[in-house]
Amino acid sequence: MKKFMTSQELARDARFKRIGIQDRIADRRLSERQRDEVEGKTAEAAGKKKRLQFSPEHPDAPDRARSMMHGIFVGEIQALEGAGRTCWDFSVGKGPDDVPFELKLDMARQCWDESRHCEISVKLSDWMGTEIGEFGESAFLFEAACNPDPILRLTGVNRALEGLAIDVFNTMKDFGDSSGDPVLEFCEDWMLADEVTHVKMGSDWLRRMTEKDPDRRARALEFQRVVDKLFSGGGLRGDDENSPIRLARRFRELAGFDKTEIDEIAELSKEALEEAKARMATSRA
Amino acid sequence: MATISVTPQTFHYVTFDADQIATLTSTLADQVGFPADATISVEIDERTPLGRARIDSLDPLALHIEGGAIEEPTEPRTLSGRLSADVIGRLLFRAKDRIDGGFADAPADADLTLQQQTAWDTYAMGRLERLGYDVRPPRRQYHFRNRHGFTDVVDRIFTHLWGAEALTWADIDAACQETAASKASA
Repeated sequence: MKKFMTSQELARDARFKRIGIQDRIADRRLSERQRDEVEGKTAEAAGKKKRLQFSPEHPDAPDRARSMMHGIFVGEIQALEGAGRTCWDFSVGKGPDDVPFELKLDMARQCWDESRHCEISVKLSDWMGTEIGEFGESAFLFEAACNPDPILRLTGVNRALEGLAIDVFNTMKDFGDSSGDPVLEFCEDWMLADEVTHVKMGSDWLRRMTEKDPDRRARALEFQRVVDKLFSGGGLRGDDENSPIRLARRFRELAGFDKTEIDEIAELSKEALEEAKARMATSRA
Repeated sequence: MATISVTPQTFHYVTFDADQIATLTSTLADQVGFPADATISVEIDERTPLGRARIDSLDPLALHIEGGAIEEPTEPRTLSGRLSADVIGRLLFRAKDRIDGGFADAPADADLTLQQQTAWDTYAMGRLERLGYDVRPPRRQYHFRNRHGFTDVVDRIFTHLWGAEALTWADIDAACQETAASKASA
């Protein structure tokens, strides 16, 4: 069986439509938050009552929730594929390209979790009135899972992207709670618990496998920073109260992040928002 | 056949086709029951991927639609025929309801609560489905539950609104009061 597959080789049926990151970057239109930021408006100055995107008072909240959960669904499929590939792509051993057998066991357990998340997500989609393939699929999670260094792969996927999943699940769990949707709330709560475990696996293996290799640890953390910034969604995820997806500090601490690391992610998210604003302002000039 | 104007005629941020939007609007206007001498303007804000839509004026009828509302969700910046029919059809039904008089005492659109908006939309989307359009009822039911509550009473009222053909504002308002009462007692 082939090792180190690319995201183009992932098997999908005709319902799924891929949206490349270039398509998103080439989009010169502004989200609500970006538009307000570019125009220098606060919600109050714009004459609007401030409403978080995932609050029951927001007019677009149900559709945004459906789109977000479809994104999570395809992310779960890719997380399953990524963890499965990590079990297969690397040999057991002590060399730089090898991994301990116990790491493979952790990845096998993660495959089991992600399979369950896929099933939960399919049923949740039904509940929310969403059809499989109704929204496009970005392959960014699997693309991070293509890194040839197992530790960079785990750091990028388990700490950066599964960390983002913690933030999303926590936000959507709160939305389920506030909108009175018991199914959404419970689904998010159950998946959130697993994500904390997955992120902790990434944190633990990063520390164990780079204990005597500070250069490799630095490269892994730099890769995580790149992934964190790239997938902050141009300000979608952040630490301030206007962020549609809030950083889930407490759950991240449980997953092995310290305060400095969480502060750094908050800062990267701010930078991502500023860069998105500058890019869009330039392209629209 | 109603006279339709779409602005802009040429799009720069998206690849929408103004003629396609005009043709669809014209067909829908006929089906919803607008007279042949009606004039309808459709303004698309292509600069945003957001998805809101509103009626700016009833006479002459003017619709304002944010580009994201009629965009294909699997192919950024391209027009979705399904969602175009969904959004334009819903607005046309609401406008026709107001023009016909049964909704004369309804608040202005900007003053409708989210619950009232969703109930009225449900009534419109049910009629649009019966015209043969793919309106995805489960999506609408999820919206309705989000606004009115996740209860059996709410589901029953959704089914009633979806299947109705000749409601007035008083019926919509009564439906909202009933869901509110069921939520309060839950």
